Amino acid sequence: MTTPPPRMLKGRSAEERDRDHLRDAVDHARHLLPTQAPIRAFVHHNTLHAFEDLPFDEAVVRAAELLGTEPYEREEAFGAHLERQRITSSDIAAVVAAAGFSEAPLVPGGPSPRELRALRLHHALERVEGPALTWLLEEVALSDFHPEVDAPARARVLDSARRALGGAVDARRALTELHARLAPHAPALPVVHAGTRPRDRVLASHGVDVDEWVHPLMYRLCGAFLDQGLSYWAMPARDAGLLSAFRALYGKPFGPPDPWLRGLPAALAEAQAAGRDAEQTVIASLDALGVPHARWDEVIEATLLAIRGWAGMIAQLEARPDRAPVKAPPCRLMDFLAVLLTLEAQAVKHVLRSEPIDAAPPRPSAPATDLAVVYEAFLVAQLAGIGPAELDDPKDARAFVHEVAAFDSVSRRRLWHRAYERHHRQHVLDGLLAHDRLGVPAIAAPRAQAVFCIDEREESLRRHLEEVDPTMETVGALGFFGVPMAYQGLTDVKPTALCPMAIRPKHLVVEEPIEEAGARSAAARRRLVGKVQNASSVGSQTFVRGGVLSATLGLAAAVPLVGRVLFPRLAERAAHAVEHLAVGSPPTRLRIERAEGDDARDEHGLLSGFTVFEMTAIVRRVLTTTAIGGRLAPLVVVVGHGSSSLNNPHEAAYDCGATGGGRGGPNARAFCAMANHPGVRAALAADGPAIPEGTWFLAGAHDTATDAVDWFDVDLVPAGHRAELARVQTVFGTARRLDAHERCRRFESAPLSLDVDRALAHVEGRAVDLGQPRPECGHATNAICVIGRRDRTRGLFLDRRAFLVSYDPSGDPDGQVLGPLLAAVGPVGAGINLEYYFSFVDPEGYGCGSKLPHNVTGLVGVMNGHASDLRTGLPWQMVEIHEPVRLLTIVEAEPELLVRILARRPGVARVVHNQWIQLVAWSPSTRKMSVFDGTRFVPHVRDARTIKTVATSVDHYRGERGHLGCARVEAALRTGAP
Amino acid sequence: MTEAWIQVATVLCVAAPGVAFALIAGAEWMRFPLQEREVVRIVGVCFSVATLAVVGSAGWMLHAGVTEVRVPIGDWFEVAHHGFSLALVLDRLSLPFAALGAALVGLIGAFSQRYLHRERGFRRFYLLLSLFGLGVELVVLAGSLDLVFFGWELVGLTSALLIAFFDERAAPVRHGLRAFLTYRVCDLGLMAAVVWLHHTVSSAEVAPHAGSEWAGLVAPEGALDATIVGALLVWAAMGKSAQVPLGGWLPRAMEGPTPSSAVFYGALSIHLGPYLLLRAAPILDRAPIVAGLVVTIGALTATHATFVGRVQTDIKSALAYASMTQVGLIFVEIGLGFRFLALAHIVGHACIRTLQLLRAPSILHDNRHLEQAVGSHLPRPGGHLERMVPRRLQPWLYRHALERGYFDSLLADGILAPVVRLLRGVDRVERRWIALLEGGDDKPADEGSGSRVAR
Repeated sequence: MTTPPPRMLKGRSAEERDRDHLRDAVDHARHLLPTQAPIRAFVHHNTLHAFEDLPFDEAVVRAAELLGTEPYEREEAFGAHLERQRITSSDIAAVVAAAGFSEAPLVPGGPSPRELRALRLHHALERVEGPALTWLLEEVALSDFHPEVDAPARARVLDSARRALGGAVDARRALTELHARLAPHAPALPVVHAGTRPRDRVLASHGVDVDEWVHPLMYRLCGAFLDQGLSYWAMPARDAGLLSAFRALYGKPFGPPDPWLRGLPAALAEAQAAGRDAEQTVIASLDALGVPHARWDEVIEATLLAIRGWAGMIAQLEARPDRAPVKAPPCRLMDFLAVLLTLEAQAVKHVLRSEPIDAAPPRPSAPATDLAVVYEAFLVAQLAGIGPAELDDPKDARAFVHEVAAFDSVSRRRLWHRAYERHHRQHVLDGLLAHDRLGVPAIAAPRAQAVFCIDEREESLRRHLEEVDPTMETVGALGFFGVPMAYQGLTDVKPTALCPMAIRPKHLVVEEPIEEAGARSAAARRRLVGKVQNASSVGSQTFVRGGVLSATLGLAAAVPLVGRVLFPRLAERAAHAVEHLAVGSPPTRLRIERAEGDDARDEHGLLSGFTVFEMTAIVRRVLTTTAIGGRLAPLVVVVGHGSSSLNNPHEAAYDCGATGGGRGGPNARAFCAMANHPGVRAALAADGPAIPEGTWFLAGAHDTATDAVDWFDVDLVPAGHRAELARVQTVFGTARRLDAHERCRRFESAPLSLDVDRALAHVEGRAVDLGQPRPECGHATNAICVIGRRDRTRGLFLDRRAFLVSYDPSGDPDGQVLGPLLAAVGPVGAGINLEYYFSFVDPEGYGCGSKLPHNVTGLVGVMNGHASDLRTGLPWQMVEIHEPVRLLTIVEAEPELLVRILARRPGVARVVHNQWIQLVAWSPSTRKMSVFDGTRFVPHVRDARTIKTVATSVDHYRGERGHLGCARVEAALRTGAP
Repeated sequence: MTEAWIQVATVLCVAAPGVAFALIAGAEWMRFPLQEREVVRIVGVCFSVATLAVVGSAGWMLHAGVTEVRVPIGDWFEVAHHGFSLALVLDRLSLPFAALGAALVGLIGAFSQRYLHRERGFRRFYLLLSLFGLGVELVVLAGSLDLVFFGWELVGLTSALLIAFFDERAAPVRHGLRAFLTYRVCDLGLMAAVVWLHHTVSSAEVAPHAGSEWAGLVAPEGALDATIVGALLVWAAMGKSAQVPLGGWLPRAMEGPTPSSAVFYGALSIHLGPYLLLRAAPILDRAPIVAGLVVTIGALTATHATFVGRVQTDIKSALAYASMTQVGLIFVEIGLGFRFLALAHIVGHACIRTLQLLRAPSILHDNRHLEQAVGSHLPRPGGHLERMVPRRLQPWLYRHALERGYFDSLLADGILAPVVRLLRGVDRVERRWIALLEGGDDKPADEGSGSRVAR
């Protein structure tokens, strides 16, 4: 082997260093991109997952600076909360006290910093600046007090003015003097930094935004590259990656006539000839754009974040190509960046050829000062009742203005947000404690048990079940019911993972027809119907076929058109009936068992089913975690959930978070098949917890949009359980109507006078309506998570706001059960909660804005209108009624035990210590609560000791639209136990 | 007697949408905000009345064997030997259009109650929708080109305003403006055609025409005059119906709310161009050059749109180009003289496309459903294209389609930019002139505004 000459080595290593630097820069930026997968598999996650290492308050501010978003709700929103007493004086007092500001007077005779802040937080003053401020000062503000200033404060200001000026003083004089004292101390305006990208420089110097040229082309390219089957003709040569496809298409001569693209074919041909790969192309483009190495990181970060929707999708499919709806092309973020920067270099070069616009106006001699802050200080002084006398000393006036300035918008909103959360927390914790103090009778021997997902949307169904049948025990477990599987339903095209995102399933469960022949002919009929539908839908968009179709059969479309628009529920039923008639639905079973020692894997690397040993472990774990193992009822129903709706590209976001955005019915079915399996039962009988012979597990699926409940494998139910099954089904039938009724109160378009049956029809109609952007409220009401015994919450109205996780602390002194449970529940609950938080506080920046202009592209995501960046996050219609509080997680465990568990589990600890959730320990021994404040558990101090008592849930919510507080529902407490 | 009833019904077709508009606008004017429910009821009742009126009239006309009803609604003005008398005409051409218009606007009204629930611009949407309904009914029932022009303008205005419905973002407003500009430039054609017709045949009325199934514009005697009027009408129709090379606004129009996109660009507005040409049948008959022009434009549009549509990766653009393809075909049919076929094609296409556009947001759901039915990922339909087009040509053709035929860039840089430069030059001269007159300093006022061409 020959060693290369030293100069070559040096040259090579310089290039290698550049490449390493570039890769680091891209990886850093990649980290900040949205992590939303193709929209058909929507999984809720913390929008600011990349910032989870920071405390929440710090993270939201950092992210806001980087992404140009809002950290908290806007000030006007907090103003509205103050007005309707959603934030009260005691909330403000409590959070200001806890924040620990100085209590020494700021100026002699004036308020302390703490008082000043508390005062300021009582008034959401509008920031006034520019000409509006000038007008205000000239016409209004100096002649009379601000309307929010109360009488005593006015008197104190006038009195102060008298002391300072002598003699009789009117409001105008006092206010003018007050303002004059403050005006000289205006702080300097912060310097606005121009952006770091070459595009920002060009924008400043030439007034041309090259993003407006480059980005639309990127949208087209990425749309074509990533398309999963929406377009008729796929992008040629995309199998070689985005950069190659781009070169192959745009490197040919006679390209787009846009002046800025004239040099592109030559540039691409040159890069192709030089054999530059993506990294070299990026480096060459950065050089062409004049970006020095030292600024690579920030420029790359800013460039990618400016088009973060598409960049994020490329990065996602690079990491997880398996999540593409059909087949991901070879995605590489480096390719994307290479194309983007190549185009940007062309655009910038083109712009720089023209004359720069006139230079910015000469800087004014004095630095700009923030007069708005002076005005704010002026108002705060009025509110605090201090006048010219207290601010006579310029030093004091200066200190005052600066203290007001220091308590800026972000600081105010931080405290307001805490007050907003505190208000909610106090109500919930007080409600739980009061309900607990009044006592909840245990169910001695439940006739039936119903296991649900922890999802807060199941809270109401569970409550209604218990009201209808107080001897039924309901249980909450993560909705994949411990079965981490890839599942392929009878009609599914490929297996999908049905388990939390953190798990990659290793086992495949397949739904199979019981009777092959019948199923085959049904499948053939279905295929025929599908092919006709597909052919007509594709054909109608083409030239010849479209012409023939629309000229001959077009008028026939009027029938579904009128039906779908005027009678959506009827039309859906008719379509369903026709399809059922034509195709039928053959009975099926799950293929779930794998022989011990059979390690054959299919092309996806999946094992076919579970061995008895694995099944036993799954069943044991669920029975132990939920603590129903020891007292199983004769009939245990396990109910997964999902949601079906039309007019809803975000349909998957309404499904079960615990199954990774899938529908949990198959998981319930698989779990029941395992629990009924004789082999599993035999194994459990040996090691516990044993399943009594007389116990049968039955699986169901709850559609949270239509409130339909379907049952699986009913034909397998033993004869002895038939009567009980019929009874349970009747109870479910009543409860789901009540559930629909309770949900309808949140829909403005459903009259409050709806009766129970019409409510069910209403929710059924919503789900199949092409014009309905709000099929259901999704997780919009999520706010609470209770991990503990159902006996603590049974009969408590929680307004569909609480994740309910069954856990019994009495059998778990060392937290062997609780630790894994927290680690599993934490990411699911916090992910949902934080995604709603961010999409609500900044619907355009973090969410994807209004659903109405959305346009599905490439089957991977939505754009606004005909071309835009991919929109990530949740649409406004989905989060509209949300209350942005961090998940209030109440764990029935001793605080010391929780501290020990957090020390063992860094993943959970990170979320808790950085306060991405609010953690409360509810001691099983003392029945007292303590709230984690970031470093330790602090005892919860109660505000209220009573709780409203009602006979049934309906009595509590009837006639109400908004969020409701806790109430004790007596119907669910008549368990018959002493 | 019955004839009188038909006359009332015909007037109702125009009056009912007008009433809906007047009620909603009046309430806004009086600062009396109507509830969502009330707005929808007003629109629903008015357009149901209009629909029933048309359907009833159609039934009677069929029964009685009447092919045309003419309703004079007064004279605009009359001078010496020239008069503008306004009339509505209900015949075999306007009947299906009027029925389709009233029924679809009513349906979209019902649909949007749910779709736009709680939206900031809810009442604005219904206001514009009823004004649009009025415009369509005016265009199709007009007994003269003068009256058509009124309706034509209402349709254009409401179309632009609805594209810009989400006015808190810049893109919809820009795209609304673009559509509006295209309409304005093309409306000049209609305006000029009216003037030319008055000039040559002293009337822009539609009259029975021998050899035609419905009344048509009176063609000028001279072939040259007929050709000029015909070309002007074609120019007008091209803008409204998004024909090559002016169709770039159509995919951009999808910025508006889905229901209005459906009724405007799937069903009604887009088909007004063909309607105008169908009314102008006598002129097309007299000026074969114009008929040839119509065929050429239609064929070019259909070919262009079908290629461009096939590479679109978002559902609304794909449907927009699918619409454009069919309207191009309809142009061809009209140019070739297959007028009944064109009429049937229009009605069928309107129904299909409206339904598809309303279903567009459910594409993911439908796609999954289809996959399950077919039992595999849906086959890529583009295979035969790849076989038919020589391999070496494919990248060119694909790029051409992806860039939408380069028409946008050609229009912006080839036509719009020189115009803007010219106007800027005029502006500079004017400024200098003013400065000279005033003798003051000539500070260039904000030059940036208006310089950015809508792309």
